[in-house]
Amino acid sequence: MAKKLMKGCEAIGEAAIHAGCRLFFGYPITPQNEIPEYMSARLPQVGGMFVQAESEVAASNMLYGASGAGCRVFTSSSSPGISLMMEGVSYMAGAELPVVIVNIMRGGPGLGGILPSQSDYFQATKGGGHGDYRVLVLAPSTVQEAADLVIDAFDLADKYRNPVMVVGDGLIGQMMEPVEFKKTIKPEELAEKPWATTGCAGRERNVINSLYLDPEQLEKHNWDLYAKYQSMAAEVRHEDYNTEGGCDVLIVAYGTVARIAKTAIDQAREKGLKIGLFRPITLYPYPAEALAKAALGAKAVLVAELSTGQMVEDVRAIVAGRRPVAFHGRVGGMVMGPDDLVAEAEKLVAVPA
Amino acid sequence: MPKPIIEVDRCKGCELCINACPEDVLAMSSEINAKGYFYPSVVHPDDCTGCRYCLLVCPDTAIQIENKGKVTTPPEALTGKTFSYCPGCTHGVIHRLVAETIDSLGIRDRTVGIAPVGCSVLAYEFFNCDMQEASHGRAMAVATGIKRGRPDLMVFTYQGDGDLASIGMAETIHAANRGEKITVIFVNNAIYGMTGGQMAPTTMPGQVATTCPTGRDVNLAGWPIRVVELLKTLRTPAYLARVAVHDPKNILNAKKAIRKAFKYQLDGTCFSLVEVLSTCPTNWGYQPHESCEWVEENMVPYYPLGEVKVPEEVPVQVGS
Repeated sequence: MAKKLMKGCEAIGEAAIHAGCRLFFGYPITPQNEIPEYMSARLPQVGGMFVQAESEVAASNMLYGASGAGCRVFTSSSSPGISLMMEGVSYMAGAELPVVIVNIMRGGPGLGGILPSQSDYFQATKGGGHGDYRVLVLAPSTVQEAADLVIDAFDLADKYRNPVMVVGDGLIGQMMEPVEFKKTIKPEELAEKPWATTGCAGRERNVINSLYLDPEQLEKHNWDLYAKYQSMAAEVRHEDYNTEGGCDVLIVAYGTVARIAKTAIDQAREKGLKIGLFRPITLYPYPAEALAKAALGAKAVLVAELSTGQMVEDVRAIVAGRRPVAFHGRVGGMVMGPDDLVAEAEKLVAVPA
Repeated sequence: MPKPIIEVDRCKGCELCINACPEDVLAMSSEINAKGYFYPSVVHPDDCTGCRYCLLVCPDTAIQIENKGKVTTPPEALTGKTFSYCPGCTHGVIHRLVAETIDSLGIRDRTVGIAPVGCSVLAYEFFNCDMQEASHGRAMAVATGIKRGRPDLMVFTYQGDGDLASIGMAETIHAANRGEKITVIFVNNAIYGMTGGQMAPTTMPGQVATTCPTGRDVNLAGWPIRVVELLKTLRTPAYLARVAVHDPKNILNAKKAIRKAFKYQLDGTCFSLVEVLSTCPTNWGYQPHESCEWVEENMVPYYPLGEVKVPEEVPVQVGS
């Protein structure tokens, strides 16, 4: 398939269609409106259905219903809207329903702003809604990768019967890059879901539910879910960049910030400073083993995020004091430049006077 | 000769059958059943006319009628599990009417029901079809997801007044306004039952609840919401009706409305909602038969019964 120049948000929408998804329920919010707009135009062309919900709360519960009825379904939103969806996400995690949710993150808390942010890392990777659960979290850093990961997200959601979240920010969503769709799945080719509520003809009835009034049963359910989340470790993905043979400073960054880090690496090279990049692609499960290996090959670690410090907590837990871990963050929609990262890296390796 | 057959261990001793029998065929026994309730026994079998009133009002499907060698059977669309409702609560009657409708339309194997949060949270254990349990108030959003993804399925929600008219009011209005081809069974008993008797959006003026201990003050809490009248104002075609289940005549009318509501969905015509005035003897603090009288005397005058809206025959013209 030929490459096509597409906006990130549109590529995300088209990727969902290539993944065999024919249902979208969502509510407008900046900076991801191009996704529902794209889906509202595209889905009817492929026999699909777009519904503009009355709220993100309703949208997430429409996902619950559609997924429970065996359909591939997805939604997109941005931070305040994702907060509203957390009701449905918790119930879908509890009822083990596969859905794909895209969060084009914006600055918070509260209404915050509409510019790029990574301040929903905790919400995405630590559960986000009530109860003891996790969703699988994927973080693309290019439009092509966003398209690839959205397609993969549907397969992963079905494989684990669990919500999968793809997190980007306004930069990924709004920029145009060449993209190709590496596979096309027809909805009719998708595997049957024998657990779904599709009418009980010829079988016992199915129930989609997250209520367990018996504490022993609920405890078992929680540990079963826990075991499932542990098994997701098989899906860890990351990118090592310029880390062969070790480096002076290892930057740990994902999404948009990882792009900036790559430019910083080039700038630092001219100064004789070797910076490497460790870019987690799965934020949950976190590629911990690979990070530990990369960190031990560096003199110091610099975590860069568009937050006041969220992923850095996981990085510090993984590095466990074996290397110094510094943090550089910009928030509110402000974005660091490559030179900022070089300057931070230089500080880490400077010989004390 | 017709005669009622009491399935003793299903009975919760509410005595509604005894009150309903026009011929005094039944009387309470002095024995208790396995659940610890006194139950009715047939004391004047020769007087039974086979009118089925006892079967109709029984909230626990504990009564069948034998007539000319045939015995009525509970609906296939019920699992047979004993309802979790309090004695005399008319949820069980409404369950049976919905299940009988599903059976009579022959749609059980392609129906998905949505259980709410509230007293009927366990409805997924009682309806013998595919079921989904929704979060509080979102049953119609869940139903929307199912129906849009699988229009071939018959989708119904079963919701109480707190679920549908308070926390879920946005979902209610928008599902109705989008004209979702779903059927909503709305059980209005003017109280929050499961949580222990708090004020509902449909609690009557002056009615005592645990969060309005001196009675609902309409200056503070507003007037009870008339859901079907509210939905009637929407331009989108719909079938909207209000019925009650506090006596055999009303139960028969309720069944007709519920059947119509499902039929409109089956034909792909429109959104359909039937509001059913129901009782809550436990939290109202009345005997079951007194609760039925309370519905008639207090609720029906404020919540008038009947079809409030039927879909229009004329297609909607858009633009000029």
